[in-house]
Amino acid sequence: MAAAAMTGRGVALIRNIAGSLHSRLQILGGASQQLSCLHTSVSLDSKHWEKSNRKVYPPQLPEEPRRPAEVYHSRRQIKYSKDKMWYLAKMIRGMSIDEAIAQLEFNDKKGAKIMKEVLLEAQEMAVKNHNVEYKSNLYVAESFSGKGKYLKRIRYHGRGMFGIMDRVYCHYFVKLVEGVPPKPEQSTSFDQAKEYVQGLRNRTIIHSL
Amino acid sequence: MATSMTRTFGALRNVTYSSLKNAEFPRDVRHPGPLFLPVRTKKRYFIPPAVGLKGKKEENPEIKGRAAGIVFRQQYLERPINIACSAGVFDPYIPPEGDARVSALSKEGLKQRTEQIRQSAASQLAIRKIKEHDSQFSTKTFAEQAQEIFIEAHNALIHFNRERLHSLVTERCYPEMTRGNRYKTIRWKFMESLEAPRVVHARCPDMVTKGNLYGQVTVRMHSKQTLAIYDRFGRLMLGSEEQPKDVLEYLVIERHLINPYSRWRLHGKIVPSWAPPKDPVIMTVAIPGPELKPWEEFDALNYEVPKPAAVQWNNYRA
Repeated sequence: MAAAAMTGRGVALIRNIAGSLHSRLQILGGASQQLSCLHTSVSLDSKHWEKSNRKVYPPQLPEEPRRPAEVYHSRRQIKYSKDKMWYLAKMIRGMSIDEAIAQLEFNDKKGAKIMKEVLLEAQEMAVKNHNVEYKSNLYVAESFSGKGKYLKRIRYHGRGMFGIMDRVYCHYFVKLVEGVPPKPEQSTSFDQAKEYVQGLRNRTIIHSL
Repeated sequence: MATSMTRTFGALRNVTYSSLKNAEFPRDVRHPGPLFLPVRTKKRYFIPPAVGLKGKKEENPEIKGRAAGIVFRQQYLERPINIACSAGVFDPYIPPEGDARVSALSKEGLKQRTEQIRQSAASQLAIRKIKEHDSQFSTKTFAEQAQEIFIEAHNALIHFNRERLHSLVTERCYPEMTRGNRYKTIRWKFMESLEAPRVVHARCPDMVTKGNLYGQVTVRMHSKQTLAIYDRFGRLMLGSEEQPKDVLEYLVIERHLINPYSRWRLHGKIVPSWAPPKDPVIMTVAIPGPELKPWEEFDALNYEVPKPAAVQWNNYRA
């Protein structure tokens, strides 16, 4: 009896916490530091990436710099290997969306066609639903592939031996941000050498006299 | 837990009592049970009978139930729907041109006012019908009541209080007000009322059956309001929070007169054909160009952007 009552209260507690967490996700803004200590578990069937599009920021004051729009998009269970997809995802990281679509269009890989469709969908979503003014003013901020749910089959070897064959599937995630793509910092060899020497000079001996 | 304990010891107890029938036995002495008592082989799981029978198709459980004597009530496959509001604005009010432009003191303004004071006969009839069902109705107090409903409804929309909004706004008006608002922030303020609100039009249509009366009253409001809509990222999409605007509106308030528990709720707005165009959205939008044949070229210099027809809007659904 007592045990049943305790579990009931516990379930209500968990529900309250989940409810408050859900409401907190709505108001993010500058409160991200407070939430970093909370660990919310991600289960197998939760589509976290798609839910990021539901985040609503509070209205900006007129002095603040204009917040760039972010659009999250993904495609699940693509019939392709995640390792092969990774090469394409790494290629378009940091490119502007037009450049990325052009590169993928003339790439011979199977994943390139699918990735191009995903990028075009994301661009359309950004213009229609997320108040992005110019469809070319987007760049690929994040792009990566993940493992999907594999189907397992039997691969027959000689001498009655068998192996378990995986029919591979992958997910592809992309985040488009409004604005000009950021330039990667390029330092010359002289600068790198200078930094190395400075690092050597900064060394000290601790607990010395 | 408890039930299984009794089950294990129940079997033992039955066996012990049966073996010692005639002799008196003290309750606290435990006699050892027989050697071959099936305790560990006891079935402790339950397989529903349906698992083992794969191919067998059972007869209708309904027939079995009737044979057993269970009586089921007749099942109605219909569901009653309560329609609490009408589908649109019946016989909409056509506001006269230049309504708020002409000052009330000039000659034309006086003419307009005299015309408006003598409302049309149909409106008077409708008001009389409304007074039959709602004895406390009066055109003088109703206009202010309508303005209060309007202000409360918009406040509920800003803070998005669904239940309150449903009680202040009809089911037909609710989707029009809330469409596309989910990931946006709206800030609205009612500054002041420039002219006293006035009842200009009333109709009492009946839907479906003859006696099912709905009262629709149009109220004219001239007021100062500020509106600012921010998108998902907090960027201003429309309007401004500091700059108020003079707004002339024709609100349609409706009530289901037959229902004694119904309330006067906002049903819609009438946008006249001569209304000035709204402020543009703070964004560049691409207008689709003309349909061209393969051999034609687009002439950007001489192309005129088509303007929407000047029609009165009684509902926002295209």
